[in-house]
Amino acid sequence: MNNFLNSQIIKTISLRFLSSLLTLFLLISFLFFLIRISPGNPTDKFVSAKLGTELSESVAKKFSINEPITDQYFSFLSNLTTGEFGISYNYHLPVLSVIWEYFSFTLIFAGISFILQIGFSLWLALRFMHSQNKWLKKITSNASLFIYSIPAFVLGVSLIYIFSVHLDLFPITGLKSLDYDELSFFSKMFDQLKHLILPLITLSAAGVALFFKYITESLDEVKTKTFIVNLRASGVNEKIILRKHVLPNAIKPLISVAGIELGIILGGTLITEVIFSLPGMGRLAIDSILARDYPLVIGCVFTAGAVMVLANFFADLIKLKIDKRLIKGILN
Amino acid sequence: MKSRIKVIHWIVFLWMLILILQFDLICGYLSLTFDFILLIVDNFSSAFTVLNFGIIDASLSSIIFLLLIPILLIFRKKISSLNEQLTFTYAFLAILIFLFLFAPVITNEDPEFSKNLSVTKLLPPLHSVNQLTLKSKTEQNLTTVEKFKIKSDRIIKPSFNNRIIFADSVFVKEKVFYWQKNVQHEIDKKLLVTEGGISVINSKVFIIGTDEFGRDLFARLIYGTRISITIGLGAVALSFFIGMILGFLAGYRGGILDILLNRFTEMFLAFPVIYLIVLILALFGSSIFSVIIVLGISGWMSLFKIVKTEVISIKQKDYFKTANLVGLSKYQLLKKEILPIVITPVMINLIFLFSNVILAEAALSYLGLGGGNSYPSWGSMISSGQEYISKAWWLIAFPGLALILTLFTFNASGKKFGRKLNPIIK
Repeated sequence: MNNFLNSQIIKTISLRFLSSLLTLFLLISFLFFLIRISPGNPTDKFVSAKLGTELSESVAKKFSINEPITDQYFSFLSNLTTGEFGISYNYHLPVLSVIWEYFSFTLIFAGISFILQIGFSLWLALRFMHSQNKWLKKITSNASLFIYSIPAFVLGVSLIYIFSVHLDLFPITGLKSLDYDELSFFSKMFDQLKHLILPLITLSAAGVALFFKYITESLDEVKTKTFIVNLRASGVNEKIILRKHVLPNAIKPLISVAGIELGIILGGTLITEVIFSLPGMGRLAIDSILARDYPLVIGCVFTAGAVMVLANFFADLIKLKIDKRLIKGILN
Repeated sequence: MKSRIKVIHWIVFLWMLILILQFDLICGYLSLTFDFILLIVDNFSSAFTVLNFGIIDASLSSIIFLLLIPILLIFRKKISSLNEQLTFTYAFLAILIFLFLFAPVITNEDPEFSKNLSVTKLLPPLHSVNQLTLKSKTEQNLTTVEKFKIKSDRIIKPSFNNRIIFADSVFVKEKVFYWQKNVQHEIDKKLLVTEGGISVINSKVFIIGTDEFGRDLFARLIYGTRISITIGLGAVALSFFIGMILGFLAGYRGGILDILLNRFTEMFLAFPVIYLIVLILALFGSSIFSVIIVLGISGWMSLFKIVKTEVISIKQKDYFKTANLVGLSKYQLLKKEILPIVITPVMINLIFLFSNVILAEAALSYLGLGGGNSYPSWGSMISSGQEYISKAWWLIAFPGLALILTLFTFNASGKKFGRKLNPIIK
């Protein structure tokens, strides 16, 4: 029986992995054809029309833009298998190295924000858990909906207005101060932290509200289950009930939400990086789209998609690890 | 604690308020409409050459505005939501609907009108400037069409008007002297519009200030509401059709189509859609239509999932099998057997989708990809507010507040609607 379950799990996981790969493949093909059928020529950016057609021809040849689109597609796919995204038109560097430089910031930024969101919302939810005050519940639920409704750019710009322009507490843009190189190690850390506080608040506020709502709902649901009431009746310590029985059961449904939330964060970093002009992948993507830097665009969008697909895959794995009954839901 | 104020009372209050404040304007619109009908009778072929969107908009919205309250009072028993207790959600929803339908009645300023930048640039709220109005060249023997044109330009203010001058201060002697940023100008008294022999110098108040091009922020905010809601409705309708049809096909047929659509949906769901939207808009150019289409295309996935799972479960039911055997076409099956059942979850989803679309549109305009300056948009106002952040707080505060309240209203009403239709969801 156990053996059967194991083989079934392996089969499901490998199928799930294949479907993730298929999704990525669809994504990249979609992107490729989308970019190629769009109006506008990448050579226009490098060669002015006044310089004559010969020069633009040679540039087009260098980027092999004139070949048939199917040939381009297949050579693109075969390059992809070796991790070769081509050379950025703008930076004249391999796409992957450009992206890595910017993506590492986004990854750290999004990671800190993700941890902050979960930790802070869990703390808040546990604080408000035992209150029976009806008004307080109403206020917290409305407040969380209100905070959830504040768009990142409105929040970011308002924070800049209050804390940077008026109170002069935090810097407006960028990641480093001008005298960054002359600072000692600890002042460097402090400087970066100072630059990151407003962006982190901007990125995390909506997520905290969302997680808070989910956690309170699922805590409320678990709290009234019969097995909890039973434990309480048997005289088990309230703290142990909370830590060992209520929390693990309440957090389970959060895992699939967390997978989706990661996508929201990744979209949110794009806006936040533009507001505070931080050196992240979102801003790189916007800049490269506006500059018609096709390989870099494909690289950025592919990286974002790959991170998301992988995150969802791992979320499913963790879900399966916690509760094996969910095996049927995973392949849908 | 229960207040006895109902939704209908609030609507009547708003209506009365606008009627009192803008009575002259509504009368002007109605007389313009009447003149146009006379013009059609008089000179059919040339009447339509002067017709533009502004005139249609103004006359339609003033007529609907006047008819609104009688119609609502007649049907007040039948529409149950009118008799509900007034909450913040309903109150703001009513304001949004008023702004959407009656924008020309609320303000007759053109959102793009900009003149004398040195005087009107970045004025704070409730700041007033002097406005000199020059006479139009009075030629004798005007045709009726030309007379109508002049009248319509007087009532519906055009986006370009040569005959208005804004000034910081004015001094009238034998000539009219006026100052624009400490530069003195002078014009002949005879050029000004006169009323009873005295030249008219109004003072013009900008209720919530002006932007960096000296445009009236109040008008831009109101027309921005209109644009946001139009884009929201268009994109949601598009998503609804795509999600409905694809969901029905995938659930009803199954097979390869189902698998492909599932992967496609997962691709869209797994993906930070804003990257894709930005990419498509940057590639294909952005106008109001391309924004609607892109946002519509990027929002159908959750609808597709809902409809598909419902169709799969309905397919097993006896009544659906019977209907299928009787020989109903696919369109009839969708309309008569499936739509009534899926409409509840779909409606809830559509409301949330609506608020997402409004947010996405504002975010795109903020990034400078939502049609640029071709229409007034909350997002682009906030973006320009960030540029002038140390000088002009009102550029951020008012559009930002409008955006937050709109999103909050739609999120809250989606929640409320869901609770009403499905008491299990809390």
